This record gives sequence, structure tokens and C-alpha cells, in this order.
Amino acid sequence: MTKPRLAKPLPIPHLKAFCLGIVLCSAFILAGCARTTSPKVTEIVYWTGWSGHEFEAQERLIAEFNRTHPHIHVRILSQFGTSGYQKVRIAFAGGATPDVMSTVWADELAAYALRGVLTPLNSYLKQAGRDVEREYTPGVAKMLRIEGKTYGLTVTTNTSFIAYNRAIFREAGLDPNHPPQTIAELDRAALACTKYDPQGNFVRYGFRPSQLSLWAYVFGGKWYDTATRRITANDPHNLAALRWMVSYARTYDLKKMQAFQAGFGSNETANGPFFVGKMAMWSTGEWSQEYIHRYAPALDWGWFALPAPPGGRDKTTGAGGSVFVIPAACRHKDEAWEFLNWMSSPHAVASFCQSIKNVPPVIAAAKGNTFFQTDPLFHFSIAISQGKNSFGAPPIPTWPTYRREIGRVEEAAVLGGEDPDKLLNTLQKQMEKELIESREDLQR
Amino acid sequence: MKQRSPSLKLLAHLLLMGIGLLFALPFYWLVTTALKPDTQIFQMPPAWIPHPVMWNNYPKALHYIPFWLYTGNTLKICLFSVLGTLFSCSLVAYSLSKIRWRGRDLVFYSLLATMILPGQVTMIPTFTIFKWLGWIGTSLPLIVPAFFGSAFHIFLLRQFFMTLPNELSEAAKIDGCSEFGIYWRIVLPLSKSAMATVGLFTFISAWNDFLGPLLYLNDESSYTLSMGLQRFVSQHGAEWSMLMATSTVMTLPIIAIFFFAQRTFIQGTTLTGIKG
Amino acid sequence: MNRKQPRLRAQERENQRNGTLFALPWLLGFAIFIAYPLCASLYYSFCTYDAIRPARWVGLQNYQRLFFEDPLFWKSLSNTLYMVALGLPIGLVASLGIAMLLNQKVRGIALYRTLYYLPSITPVVATSILWMWLLNPEMGLVNLFLKRVGVANPPAWLTDPFWSKPALILMSLWGVGGGMVIYLAALKDVPEALYEAAALDGASRWSQFRHVTLPMISPVIFFNLIMGLIGSFQYFTQAFVMTNGGPQDSTTFYALHLFNKAFLDFKMGYASAMAWILFLITLVGALLVFRTSARWVYYGGEVK
Repeated sequence: MTKPRLAKPLPIPHLKAFCLGIVLCSAFILAGCARTTSPKVTEIVYWTGWSGHEFEAQERLIAEFNRTHPHIHVRILSQFGTSGYQKVRIAFAGGATPDVMSTVWADELAAYALRGVLTPLNSYLKQAGRDVEREYTPGVAKMLRIEGKTYGLTVTTNTSFIAYNRAIFREAGLDPNHPPQTIAELDRAALACTKYDPQGNFVRYGFRPSQLSLWAYVFGGKWYDTATRRITANDPHNLAALRWMVSYARTYDLKKMQAFQAGFGSNETANGPFFVGKMAMWSTGEWSQEYIHRYAPALDWGWFALPAPPGGRDKTTGAGGSVFVIPAACRHKDEAWEFLNWMSSPHAVASFCQSIKNVPPVIAAAKGNTFFQTDPLFHFSIAISQGKNSFGAPPIPTWPTYRREIGRVEEAAVLGGEDPDKLLNTLQKQMEKELIESREDLQR
Repeated sequence: MKQRSPSLKLLAHLLLMGIGLLFALPFYWLVTTALKPDTQIFQMPPAWIPHPVMWNNYPKALHYIPFWLYTGNTLKICLFSVLGTLFSCSLVAYSLSKIRWRGRDLVFYSLLATMILPGQVTMIPTFTIFKWLGWIGTSLPLIVPAFFGSAFHIFLLRQFFMTLPNELSEAAKIDGCSEFGIYWRIVLPLSKSAMATVGLFTFISAWNDFLGPLLYLNDESSYTLSMGLQRFVSQHGAEWSMLMATSTVMTLPIIAIFFFAQRTFIQGTTLTGIKG
Repeated sequence: MNRKQPRLRAQERENQRNGTLFALPWLLGFAIFIAYPLCASLYYSFCTYDAIRPARWVGLQNYQRLFFEDPLFWKSLSNTLYMVALGLPIGLVASLGIAMLLNQKVRGIALYRTLYYLPSITPVVATSILWMWLLNPEMGLVNLFLKRVGVANPPAWLTDPFWSKPALILMSLWGVGGGMVIYLAALKDVPEALYEAAALDGASRWSQFRHVTLPMISPVIFFNLIMGLIGSFQYFTQAFVMTNGGPQDSTTFYALHLFNKAFLDFKMGYASAMAWILFLITLVGALLVFRTSARWVYYGGEVK
């Protein structure tokens, strides 16, 4: 080996260039961020979870608010997509939240509220002379009350019902003017509307119940008892609902039905099975009217409230929507409240719900608006949403987990053929444990 | 390259074409879906040719979001990422393959180990570091880490550098070339194809990255194209044709880059004559 | 070896300095951006931690629950091992095969290469819709083809718990472009002279492949194998976008279960424990590969 020459301390010039590069690019970026606002105007940052045309409707509302409230400037930012809630979680975790956000799911409201990262709105509501219990539909009001406090307000809700194809009803010998009112009638109609080809493959099907979390309420059940503060997963009515869903697996080859259904992809696309006449009854909500108008304008269709069994609940609906919250770390709480107060006012709620075709959760918003009063479907939907059988997420911190597990139980029973009774009992134990642990953890 | 009989060549052609068609399908699907009216997108059996052809979807989509602004933002991030990655990764890979030093294996194995831990659990601590640095809301968290090397690309370059014979660098050393000189004048020129691969990969991942910009950018004026795409998706559905149109446009630069960067792959390293 | 000459010592010192200096970017990056998150996640794995409130030490509780009280943990692990055992080798062979095919001198090869690379750069939204109908049980192209060749009852793919994973593997075959590009770059680096020499010796095409190509690109095969191993253990995106774990948990992969725990269930501590178990499993796999690598990976210029 020859004597090696001493190498230069080489990467140094490059390190310099590299450091310079970093300085340059940070200066470049920071320069782009510098903004000047007049000292009197408070800027508040608002994250919205709405996208597409719904985002535009939000933008219009924000513009109106900024126009009418010169001392506040709201900067709206869309945080959309499947990863949106990850962003919200990480923002809370890292303490980098905006002043107001509507990106918290109703399902997660209690989980965030009980962890102390949201501003309780009670004193603000009181000051403004507002009363959530009276202003909001019962289901939404109940959902918004967490351990006696209000942490967020919604501006939209939804109504569950079944849309049905009148032409198929006629063809199947059913009276399209008298849609099913009981579970037994629903089952009969579903069977009558189902058609097979000579090989026994589906050509059309009547109905396939899904979403146990909702049907349990229809059957008179519940998932959580607010009075005893206990999980009620194995409520006998819940079991009855699950048994009913499983009964479809006996009447039909559900695997085949599912494959047939999958053939159409998503329900809300132009090829959705309801739109093309391959599914007679569709368990959906008021938002679907837009899609029907868009993709199947010629469809002869109607709607009816979820039918109930004897002893069940009439006109049951789910309730919910994105919740507006003020994070505890917000630095301009008064201004944030002023904005939130305006966004949840009857005027703003009516305007937003009308433009995105959702049911308004604020009773006064529905009252004063001609569209909501005259459109037949909305008239119907709003009446149901304001009825006593509307149910939102239970105010427990473990609901996101609970809800997913309900879905898994449903699948295991209906498709996997497992015993409904056993499944719900296991769920009960599991969720009880989760809730107790979560409460203990939140106590500290 | 080896000489082949004409029949073998024909077979190769047929094979390439057959499988090629299969692989071209997604892109064909992307382009044509963008040109379809809404009612045709989910049609079963699928419509192969849009009818009528909705040329309008493209301009419509590009006006729906501030396309050029987002493109500029994305390009800026991509450019810095590629520069940073090429520079830092090749240096580190050189150290891990061509220099023998104590602790080298430890560094190499810990480099591998960092790739093994799923990102979901380091995401929050990472976020807090950038928060502490005051970088939330800027593109620094998306750019600066590239200058410190990425494990994947370091590993890739190391594997390539390992195949280069040492005779060259030893000869250069005897001629009085410094370690940096060997890296810069011998190893890098011989690794054009690997460097091009790393550059391409870095560009593509920065170009398509969604979660990173979503987590760190808080200003619409600095949003990227992949975030813009999400604008077309809403809770119950999506503006499918516009989504597809923007996706197509987003894919084009990558296709162009790949098509032309191939020259570098093809040239490869001409070691012939030096070794063998 | 023990008694070194002073000159060599100097050389060693210099190497030590140069090696560290060249590796400095990553060493710094590790210290600044990686070390803390790594340690933090290990610490959280022994805590009850919801990512919002401070973590509370609970010792081995998370690990104990994982092993003894979470059936989905085992299910997701076995789903993932399925992908590692089946999807990984198929993908490796396919990408090498295609790279070999694309490493020919035929006209229009640049175009072909681009074509073959297309699926791996097409956005997931587009490809997932495409695959939805390709794999459609009733009218999908795949099943129409299967029926044509005489399969009476073709699988229901993504809606059937038995066929959902094979369906995802089939899909992944299509995105072999990334691995292919790496192989292609490596194939281009194999010196022509070696083939010429082999041909002169009368080596057959197969033995050229076996004795020239394979050894020469083995470092890159090794790279793709290790990366594929890590990637398969972290398989997530397609399952998240297309099946979300269903039907009947058949596509609940480890990383998806972990994601749900971390971001849906507010259990970052539990998820961190899962991550570290995955870390150990992957590490064992990687070490096994490393062990065997001395036998089949040929490095042209390793500094011994």
C-alpha cells in the first residue's frame, strides 16, 4: 500500500453550501408567509371538513360573515379527505389547533370533550341567551350534551328513511301508495320485489338491511343508558334487531346478494343499484335526493320512514353531522364564539343546509325557510328529525370504538353465521370494560 | 447486447405488447374516465370509449382549483427534496459502502431499523419536533429532512456502490485523489443509473405525497396538487370526472420525466474495458 | 492483523474521520428527527396514552393485552404473514421477470418501459375504481375471462373473505414498476464483457442468467427483498382505501389494525406496542435474510 495523501476535510465546502441552501429556502418560504393585517381586525383561522361544492357553500357564508363583521376576519381552510381526522388528532396532540373547527365528527365529540381539549360553550350560550335544548332537534340536543356541558354545535343533521322504486312496487303487485309500515310488511315487500334468473342468480333484489347501530333503535333498543351511565349492547331489543338482520341470510343467499350489490359499486354513483332499478328499497337519507335528481331524473320513486316491529319505535332516525368546536388552545375565544354563534344562527344554518341539501338541526332554521317547508321530501325529513325518536352518538368517550365493533358484530352474525346472542354479550363485556377504563383514565 | 434470433425477437415483441397493454390499462382508464359524462363512469359493463367525449372536464377541473399555484408549490417541494436527497444520500451511502470505519455497521443497521417501525406511531412525536422548531405551516418539514438523507435511498445507493469494483478507487488514491474526489469523480459518474433512480423515486414520492402536506401546511396558498385532488371528493360522493382529469394532468409530468430519464438508465455505467 | 503498521494506523484514522464525515448528514438527521420519535414510541408502548393527555406508565399491560385479549391482533398478524409469504415472493419474481423482458434491445423499448411503469404512478383513486370493476364478481373483466376459459364459479374476489387477499396480491402485481426500475438500473450495470466471456465459453442463455446476471444484480435483489419484506409487513394503503378491513376482517392487516387503534380508538400507547412487536418480527425476518445473504449476495467491491 502506498502512503495515502492526506485527504482534504472534504465535505466542508458542501456543508456550507448545504447550510446556505437551508437558510435560503427557509427565507424563501417564510417570506411567503409574512402577512400584514390591520391591528383592529382579529384574524381567526377556521378548519372546515366540507369539500367539493359544500366547501364553496362554506366559503360563501364566511364571505358574508366577514362582510358583516368588520372587526373579525375568518380565514377558512379545508382539511378534507380520508386523512382529515388524522390531521385533527395530530393537531390536538401537538397543540397546533386553529381557532374554530368543524372537522370533529359527532362520533368523536365526547372523546375530545372529556379529554379537556375543547372550550365549554355554556357561559357563552347563556350570555347570548341561547338554549340548545330548545333550539335543536331532540336527537341532536341530546348528542351535544356531554356530562351536562355543551362543547360544540352542529349546523347540519341527517334523516334516515327508505327510498323505494314505485315502478318496481307496481310490477311486484304492491301498492306504491302504501309502502311498508311494519317490519313484517317490509320483509314481504322485499321478497316480492326480488327477482332471479333461471339459473338462480339475482336480477333484482328488494331490500337488504344494514347498519345495526341504527336498526337497534328501530326495534326499541339502545346502546347506552344515560340514566344509569351503562353500556346496553345486549339489550334484548338490540338482539331482536340483529336476529331480524340475520333472518335475511336465511331467506336469501346473502353472499350472492352482496356480490350482486358489489357489481354496482357505490350507491351514490350513476350506476348505483337503486338508480338503475336493481334494488327496490334503499335505506338512505335526505342527501340522496340530489343524487337521484342528478343520476336518475326519470326514476319514479317515493320514501317512507323506517318501519318498526310491534313494540319498536316509529319514525326512527339517526342524527349527527360535523360538530363546530372551539379548541381549548384557541387564542381569540370571544371572536371565535362570535363566529360560531353566527354560523349556528337560524339564518346561516338555513342558508348552508339549503345549499348542500341537508336537514337543519336548528328548529327555527327549518321554520322560516320556504324550501324546507315546500319541498315534500324535506318537509317529511324535517318532521322526522324533530320527532322524539332521533338518536345521535351516545355521549361516551369510547363511541368511535363501540360503533366500529357494532359493525363487526353485524358482519360476523349476518355473513359469518355466528350466534347473535353470544356476539352481543361479548360486545357488552368488552365495551363495559373499555368504558370503565376510559373513565378511570379520564378521572386523573 | 446478446444477439437474438429473429423468432425470439418477435416473441419478445409480442410478449412486451401483450403485457404492455395490460399495464397501460389504468392510464387509459384514467384518461377516458376524465372524458366521460357522469352517467358513464360507473356503467356496467364499462364503457371503453367515452360518449359523448367531455373535453370540457379538463379545463373545468383546472379552474376548479388554483392549479398553477398548487403546481408551483408542489414543484418547489419536489425540487428541494430531490436535490437534498441526491446529495445527502449519496454521501452517506458512499461512507457505508466504500470507507471502512468503526461504527459503520452499527450505523447501517440502525438505518435499516428506522424503516422497520411503522410511521403511524412516530408521526406525533415527529410533529412535536417540527412544532418546537416553529415550522408548522411552512414547507420546511417537507423539505429539510431530505437534506439529512432518507434510509430507503441510502440503502439503495449503498447496494449499487457495493457493486463497483475497488480497483478504480484504489488506483485513484494512488494518484493522490482525496476521498471526496473519488466519490465525486469516480463513484458518482459510475452510478448515474442509480442516482437517476433515486432522483425519480424522490420526485414521485414528493409529488404524490398527501399526508405530509396535509399535516404541515396550514395555508391554502401553499397547498400542493395532491391536496387539491381531495377538493373533488365529498362525504357521499365525488366529482369523478374532474378528479380523474386532475389526476391525469398530475401524472403527465412523471410520465415525461420517466420517459426521458430512461436515457440515463439505458446508458448505465460503461464499465466495459475497465473490468472483465 | 493485531500489530498494525503506523502507516496503516494513519490510514485507519483518516478512514474513521472520512467515514464519519460522509455519514454526517444522516447521523445529524437521525439525532434531530428520528431518535426522539423512536424513543418516544418505545416509551409510549408501556403507557396508556391517547395522544392528547400526558402518557401514564402501565408497564407491560399493552403487551399483555395484545397477546392474550385481542383476537384481532392474531387475525391481523396472520393476514399480514399471508401477504409476506405469498405476495412478496410473487412480486419479487414478477418485477425481475418484467425487468429482464424490458432489458432487451428491441425497437420502441423506451415506450414499453414507460407503459410498464404507468400503474405504479397512477393515483390510487383511479386504480381502485378500475380494480373495482376488473374484480367485479358479476361483470368484471377478470371473471369474464375466467368464465371464458371454463371456470364455472369464479371467485367473488374482494367480497369473499377467502379471495380478498389473493385479489389484493393480484392488484399489487400490477404495481411492480418500482421494483422493476431498480432491477432495470442494476441490469444495465452488468458489464457486457461478462456476457461476452460467458458466450465464448459456450454458456447457454439460462446459465448466463444463472451465473452472470443473478450474481451481478444480487445486491439489488437483496435490496428489493429487504424492502419488500418491510413493505409487506406494513401493507396498508389498498386495504385502507378499498376494503377497510372487510369482509369479515379478512383484510384487516397489522398496519390497519394499528392505525385504527391509534387514530380511531385513541390508543396510541397500544398502537406503539403493536408497532414495536411488528418491529421485532420484521427485524427477525430481516436478520434471517441477512444471515443467508453472505451465501448468495455478491458484492463486486466491498471493502473487506
